[in-house]
Amino acid sequence: MADPRYAWPANPKLLSTRVKRLDGPDKVTGRARYTYDINRPGMIYGVMVRSPHPHARIVSIDFSAAEKAPGFKTAVKAKEPGAKVLYQGDPVAAVAADTEEHARDAARLVKVEYERLPHLSSEAAAMAPDAPIVFPNGNTRKANAEEQGDLAAGFKAAAHIVEATYSTHVITHVCLETHGTVCEWEGDKLTAWVSTQAVHGTAQGFAQGLGIPQSNVRVITQYMGGGFGSKFGPDLQGLLCARLAREAKAPVKLMLDRKEEHLDTGNRPSAFAKIRAGVDATGRLTAFDAESWGTGGAGAVSSFPLPYIYDFPNRRRQHTNVFINAGQQRAMRAPGHPQGCFLTEILMDELADRVRMDPVAFRIKNLPPAGPNAMWADYFERGAKQFGWDKRHPTGDPAPGPIKTGMGVSAHRWGGAGRGSQVHVDITSDGGVVVKCGTQDIGTGTRTIVAMVAAETFGLPIEAVKPEIGDSIYPFSGGSGGSTTAASVSPAIRVTSVNALEQLLAKVAPTLGVQPTELAAEGGRIFVKGNPSKGVSWKDACKSIGTEPISVDGKWEDGLSSTGTSGVQFAEAQVDIETGIVKVTRVLAIQDCGLIVDRLTAESQAYGGVIAAINFALFEDRLLDRSTGQMVNPNMEWYMLAAMSDVPKIDIVLNNMPERGVIGIGEPPTVSTASAIANAVRNATGATIRSLPLHPHKIFAALDQERAGGTL
Amino acid sequence: MSKPEQFSVSRRDFLKTAGVGSLATAVTAVGEGTAETEARAQTGVGTGPRVVGPGEVPVTLTVNGRRVDLRLEPRVTLLDALRNRADLTGNKRVCDRGACGACTMIVDGRTVYSCSTLAIEVQGKQIRTVDGLAGTNALHPVQQAFCDKDALMCGFCTPGFVMATVALLERHPNPTPEQARKGLDGNICRCGTFVRVLEAAMEAAKAVARG
Repeated sequence: MADPRYAWPANPKLLSTRVKRLDGPDKVTGRARYTYDINRPGMIYGVMVRSPHPHARIVSIDFSAAEKAPGFKTAVKAKEPGAKVLYQGDPVAAVAADTEEHARDAARLVKVEYERLPHLSSEAAAMAPDAPIVFPNGNTRKANAEEQGDLAAGFKAAAHIVEATYSTHVITHVCLETHGTVCEWEGDKLTAWVSTQAVHGTAQGFAQGLGIPQSNVRVITQYMGGGFGSKFGPDLQGLLCARLAREAKAPVKLMLDRKEEHLDTGNRPSAFAKIRAGVDATGRLTAFDAESWGTGGAGAVSSFPLPYIYDFPNRRRQHTNVFINAGQQRAMRAPGHPQGCFLTEILMDELADRVRMDPVAFRIKNLPPAGPNAMWADYFERGAKQFGWDKRHPTGDPAPGPIKTGMGVSAHRWGGAGRGSQVHVDITSDGGVVVKCGTQDIGTGTRTIVAMVAAETFGLPIEAVKPEIGDSIYPFSGGSGGSTTAASVSPAIRVTSVNALEQLLAKVAPTLGVQPTELAAEGGRIFVKGNPSKGVSWKDACKSIGTEPISVDGKWEDGLSSTGTSGVQFAEAQVDIETGIVKVTRVLAIQDCGLIVDRLTAESQAYGGVIAAINFALFEDRLLDRSTGQMVNPNMEWYMLAAMSDVPKIDIVLNNMPERGVIGIGEPPTVSTASAIANAVRNATGATIRSLPLHPHKIFAALDQERAGGTL
Repeated sequence: MSKPEQFSVSRRDFLKTAGVGSLATAVTAVGEGTAETEARAQTGVGTGPRVVGPGEVPVTLTVNGRRVDLRLEPRVTLLDALRNRADLTGNKRVCDRGACGACTMIVDGRTVYSCSTLAIEVQGKQIRTVDGLAGTNALHPVQQAFCDKDALMCGFCTPGFVMATVALLERHPNPTPEQARKGLDGNICRCGTFVRVLEAAMEAAKAVARG
C-alpha cells in the first residue's frame, strides 16, 4: 500500500470531473505538429521499396536506374539478395530524394529481381494436408492445451449440446497518421520525430537497431495520429530512415503511404473455433471443448482467451497458430479479447435458447464470482433496465416487412494496470509548476490528466500547471499499451507532486507560525486547515522558494492504481432481410475503470471503443486475393470504415470506483460491441451468424440455413 | 475533384457514382498568366492543347487570403503543395485518394479533398485551410465547439472535420441533425469521435446564430 500521504483526495476538485483536453486548441487550429507535419531545414524525403509478391527470394537489387533519377540522394537495402520476402509489402530497400514526388519516382526505378515461391493466403490453405511447407518449422504450430475439470462428466450432465464453428476476421489498425519518422543527425547524435506510442521504447529501439548508445538518441512525439497498439518502436522503416539521413547528411522524412500502412504495420489476427458446449436442464453450463486456430500472418501467433468470462466448470481448449504470407499481427485495442468474446457470446445465446432462458438471466446464472473487478451481474441488471430489455422479443422478429429489429448483449473484461513511471516536478518562485514525464498522448488525453493530477494536488487550476511530455529527454515512462498509461502516470505524478508540495509547505509554515502538516493547498491558496482565512496565495507562497526551484523526482508507487475492469454492452440492430444490410440503432455501454481521472476524455474513449467495434462487426475486412496473395483493398474506400451516418445513438455509463485507484479505459469498451450486435442480428432475424464481419452475403447464407431449419 | 454536394449524397453513394479511379492526372494547362507562359516556354508548344510540366512550373495560390508563390511539378496536389512547400501542415494526408476527408479545404466556398485536387487547378481561387480559420485571439466558433465537446481524440481527422463543419454551417446555418450527418459523411475518424463531432456541429450552429 502506498504511503497514506499520497492517497487520492476524498473530495477532489478536479479528478473525476469533465476537464477539456489541454491540447484541443492546438489540434483544432492545425497548430499541433505531428510527425507527419515536421518540416526541417534541408529536409529530403524517403520512400520504401517493398515486395509485390507474397513469398519470394530476392535474386538481386539494382539501384543504378534510381540513382540517375531527378533529385535522387541515396538508397539503402533492407534485405540482401538471397533473403526471402514473406508477404506483400515486406521491406526490401529505401531511397531518398529531394522531393517526395522524386523519391516515389526513384523508388519505382529500383529494380528488384525475385524468384517467386509458393505462398499461403488463407488459414485453410495453410492447414490443407497438401499445403506447401512455406514456413521452415511448419505452417502451423500447436499451443499447449488448456484443460480443467472432467470434460466427459460435463457432457454427461448436459441436457443440451451445441456444436458449431465460429470465426472472426483480420482487420488492420488504419491509424490515420501512418507510421513514420523524421530523422536528423547532428554528428553521432540522432533526433527522431516518430509517430509512436512509446518515446522511451523507441529510443531504445533506435539504439539497438543502429548500434549506437541510447544516450545519443532523442525521440519526440508531441502529437500522434492514432496507434491502437501498432506503434511501439522505430520499426524497420524508422531504422531505414535514420540510415538514409546519415548517408544523405540531411534530415529525412519517411512516412508510409496508406497501402503500406495496411500491409506492414500490424493487424488483428483472425480467430476460429470449433466448439462443443453443454448446458444442463436448469441452465447451468456444464462443459466446453474447443479446437481453435487463427493467423497472425507470417510467423506471428494468434492467441485469444477462450472461453470468455463465463464459468464452464469442465473445459478443454487446444489452439493452433496458423502462419500465412501476410503482414504480421500487432497488438490491436484489447488484443485477443474481441475475438474470444465473439466466439463465446454467440454460443451463449445459442445455449440460452436451448434452455429457453432469457440471455441476460442465462448469463447472470453462469458468471464467475462477483468482485470489484467483476461487476457484470450488476451491469446486466442496470443495463437491461436502462436499455428496455423487457421489450426484447424472442429470437426472430415477428414484425411484417423486410426490416427486422433485435437486441443483443455481451460482457467483457480487461486488465489495465500501473507500472514504473518516473516524473520530475519543478515549482519556481514565480508560482510556476512544470511536470515532466516521458509518456506520450496518443489521443487518449494523457497530457491533460498529467496536468490534472498535479493541479489537484497543488490546489491550483489546471491552467497553472505546464505538462511536458512526448520526449525521451523526460523521465522514463512506459509505452502506451494495455490501457496502462493513466494508471502508470497518475500515481507517479501524485507521489511526486505531494513531495514537492511538502517542500513548499515547509517553507511557508514558519511564516504562518504553524507546522507544515497543519497546512492545506486548495483554491490557489495555502492555508491552515480549518482556518482558511489564515494563509497566503499560491503565488505569494512560492516567493519563499528563492532562486533554486523546488525540484523533485518521483516515481510510481503501488496502492494508487489497480488492475481488472469489467463492462457490459447492449445493442439494438435493424436488419433488412432483402438487402442483408445491418444498421445498428442503439448501443448502451456500461464500464468501470477504477478512479475516473477525466470524465470527459474517459467517455470519449468509451464512445471510440464502441465505434471501433461497429467497424469490426459491420465494415472493415482485410481481403487477400487467394491466387496472388495480395490485399485487394489496401486503401480507405474499399477497406470500409463507419462514417457519421453509420454511427448509432450511443449511451455511455461510467461506474466511478475511486476506492480502486486509477486503472485505464482505452481498450475494454471495444471488446463487447461486435458480439452484442451479432446477437442483436440473431434476435432480429432468427438466423445465427457465427462469423464476422456481418456482411450481407453472410446474412443471406444464415437466413437460408434458418429457412432450412439449421439454427435452433 | 470536389466533394459531393452536401446533404444529398453520402460518401458511399458518391464513391459508387463517381468512381475512384478518376483522380485527375492530366496536366492540360488550366493556369493563368505566368504558369501558362512558362509552360509554353518550357515545352515549345504554341498551338493545340497547352501542356505544362513535367518539370516545375510557377504556381500562385491564394491561401487564407494570402498570396503564396511556389514552383511545383504540375502533378503536385493542393495538399502536398501547401504541406510540403508552404509549411501549412494543418490539413492532413491520410488516405491520399479522396476517401477520408482529413485534407478537406474550402475552395471558392466549396469543400474539396485537397489530396485529390491539383494545385495548378485552383490558381486564382480562394483557398481556405484550417490554418487560417482562427482569429488572432479567438477560435472560430466551430473550433471552440470541438474543444468544448471533446470532439477530438488523436486529432488527426480533426482539421478535416472542422473545415467540413465550417462549410456545412456556411451553407446551412441552422442544420437539422440529419443535414449535419450528411454534411459530415465525407470524413472518417478512427478514434471514434463521431458522436461528439455531431454535438459540436450542432453547438457551433447555435453559437454562430448567436453571433
